[in-house]
Amino acid sequence: MDLQLSPQHLTFRDELRAWLKANIARPWREELRDPKHTEDSLMEFRRAWQGKLYRAGYLGMDWPSEWGGRGATEVEKSIFEAELALADAPPILNILGIGLLGPALIHHGSEEQRRRFIPPMLEGSEIWCQGFSEPGAGSDLASLKTTATTDGDHFVLNGQKVWTTFGPWADWIFVLARTDSKDRYGGISFILTKLDTPGITVRPLRQITGESEFGEVFFENARVPKENLVGKIGEGWRIAMTVLAYERGAMSLAYAVKYGRDIELLADACKEHGRLSGAVREKLARLVVENEVMRANGLRTLANFADGKVPGPESSIEKIYWSEFDKRFRETAIDLLGPGGQLLRHSPHARPDVDWAREFLWSRAGTIYSGSSEIQRNIIAKRVLNLPQDPR
Amino acid sequence: MKFDLSEDQSLLQSSTRDFFAKEFALEKTRRVMEHDARGFETPAWRQIAEMGYPGLLVPEAAGGQALGPIELAIVCEEAGRVCLPGPLFDVQLAAATLAAAGKQDALLRAVCAGEKIATIAWRNSPYAGEAKQTTHFANGRVKGRKYFVPFAGAADALLVTTNEGLALVEGPFEVTALPTVDLAQRFGEVTLDHPATLVGPLSLLERTDQLAAVGASATLFGIMAKSLEITLGYLQTRETFKRPIGSFQALQHRMADMLLRTESSRSAVYRAAWCLAAADPETALACATAKAYTGDAARLVCAETVQMHGGIGFTWELDVHFYFKRAKTYEMHYGSTEAQLERVLSAVGY
Repeated sequence: MDLQLSPQHLTFRDELRAWLKANIARPWREELRDPKHTEDSLMEFRRAWQGKLYRAGYLGMDWPSEWGGRGATEVEKSIFEAELALADAPPILNILGIGLLGPALIHHGSEEQRRRFIPPMLEGSEIWCQGFSEPGAGSDLASLKTTATTDGDHFVLNGQKVWTTFGPWADWIFVLARTDSKDRYGGISFILTKLDTPGITVRPLRQITGESEFGEVFFENARVPKENLVGKIGEGWRIAMTVLAYERGAMSLAYAVKYGRDIELLADACKEHGRLSGAVREKLARLVVENEVMRANGLRTLANFADGKVPGPESSIEKIYWSEFDKRFRETAIDLLGPGGQLLRHSPHARPDVDWAREFLWSRAGTIYSGSSEIQRNIIAKRVLNLPQDPR
Repeated sequence: MKFDLSEDQSLLQSSTRDFFAKEFALEKTRRVMEHDARGFETPAWRQIAEMGYPGLLVPEAAGGQALGPIELAIVCEEAGRVCLPGPLFDVQLAAATLAAAGKQDALLRAVCAGEKIATIAWRNSPYAGEAKQTTHFANGRVKGRKYFVPFAGAADALLVTTNEGLALVEGPFEVTALPTVDLAQRFGEVTLDHPATLVGPLSLLERTDQLAAVGASATLFGIMAKSLEITLGYLQTRETFKRPIGSFQALQHRMADMLLRTESSRSAVYRAAWCLAAADPETALACATAKAYTGDAARLVCAETVQMHGGIGFTWELDVHFYFKRAKTYEMHYGSTEAQLERVLSAVGY
């Protein structure tokens, strides 16, 4: 056992830490509170930040060198995420492009597709959204109904996608569409589609936070050139699974850093407001314990990566852990703060440290997106515990 | 970086698992637990001593194995898996404390060799509450009363907390047994009016407390891991409504949560053990975290085990209640959850 970063990884971390210090003018939480910002200007701010990260060589670090890679592994990526969290850096805007589509293109795309799509994706000049979920296909993704029929050298797309994160700001969408109505898994294809294609309408959806960070996308005879198919016809499901494996990668350490800071800020607020009773102290202590266990889970995953081990379905445990903890933490936080915890960001008396009310609302999302907690438990029951399956 | 155990540590793990499975399987030990007043048999204890476990943390020069917190966690995890009865963990802690106090003499050697039993006596009340010191040291004698002294009935020597520091007292002792729900454990109330020697300040127990947190949380991890395994086996074979009960989603999701707690416990326990071994700055936080978390987790997993077994789970005959009860001992003792939460707060400066 050794849970200490190697000298090489420590060097990487220290360089990155120094770079972040030099390049972040103020923490993201302060940026968010600046009244000069609108939802659009915050998006532009994040785009500019992403460009900076890219030019400094911190995006696509684990990709082949021609795409900006520098031989990094999951270890550097985990350190990167944890350091961004520690510095309270702005979130990377094109997270779905870099996090999901990038790996799909590297593993399954053509050389032309990689050359065409990867550089603007990394720079932030083309923002991607993910067209997987549909009104009738959420957890049961393979029941999706959006169709792609062939017409000469084009696909013609019809159908609807929903809960499309960044839909309202994105330039492109990667779509899972049905190319064969009879083959449940083998009838799905993975198609890159420009959102300003005639026949496509994007409508923002207002979320419970009041923001419209996701939307719905309608396809009505939208014509997409066939060269935008990734892999072969009918390989979409397999590619999507590759992509989702990346989405469920190791984030526990970065989350533990972020929550650790917010728990500290909550404890400071409790002190400031004279909230020192036994009940308050116990709640704070339990938050620290749960967060430290998450950190231990994250260190274990990081050490396993460094040891050349690839996480399997047990990574569902980490997804459930952080997302369920986030809900408990944010609920506890606004309970401990009292009525002021529910104030909106720009309200008088709103605390300057964290947007507690928004975090409380936002925490409801984590156990739904990217495979709900229920789906993760199904995965654990079936693929980790090997429990007998429901005979239905 | 590497989370897995080293080759030597893996060897210790497999040899310990084999040894406990062979000599201390529950079907063998439950008879001892139920009928032996001391809670263990001398030949079995000698066997444990031959493996070098009592002096695991003691320097070689003093008769021990000179191993560290990670190895302690490994042995404790395995002890948890078989619900090992007897004083092993309590003796390991007393021996480590004696060694740390520089009392590396014949007594410690005999303890490491399994010839004598020593444990730590520190509770001044049978119930939690004000920790007012009621045991006094003066003129080379200790006077007072200690409660919940581990294996007091078998102890040849006790390390006793007093107003002047930690005192070493040799028996025989006047002991009133305090039977609890946990058959693998024995506690006693000890009335002291004995000659004694001071071995050092009470601050000696700070490291013992951290070792206790690591070892107890590792035991709790072993208890819940085994309990989960037993439940998994039952869910795969027990049929009702013409299907294995493990195919019901109502149970599957709870099993997933039990696995989450068990695996998270593994992370927390071995992180704490590694921190303590490496003198990492996060040691205090990691140890308290591990103990607080595994106490809750083991209670949940062992309770779900009883529930999922249904009627048979509530019988004396089935093994699962041993785990359920053992988990309660380890949750309460070696730094209760309440005490660990205070340590967590002080570690983060609150």
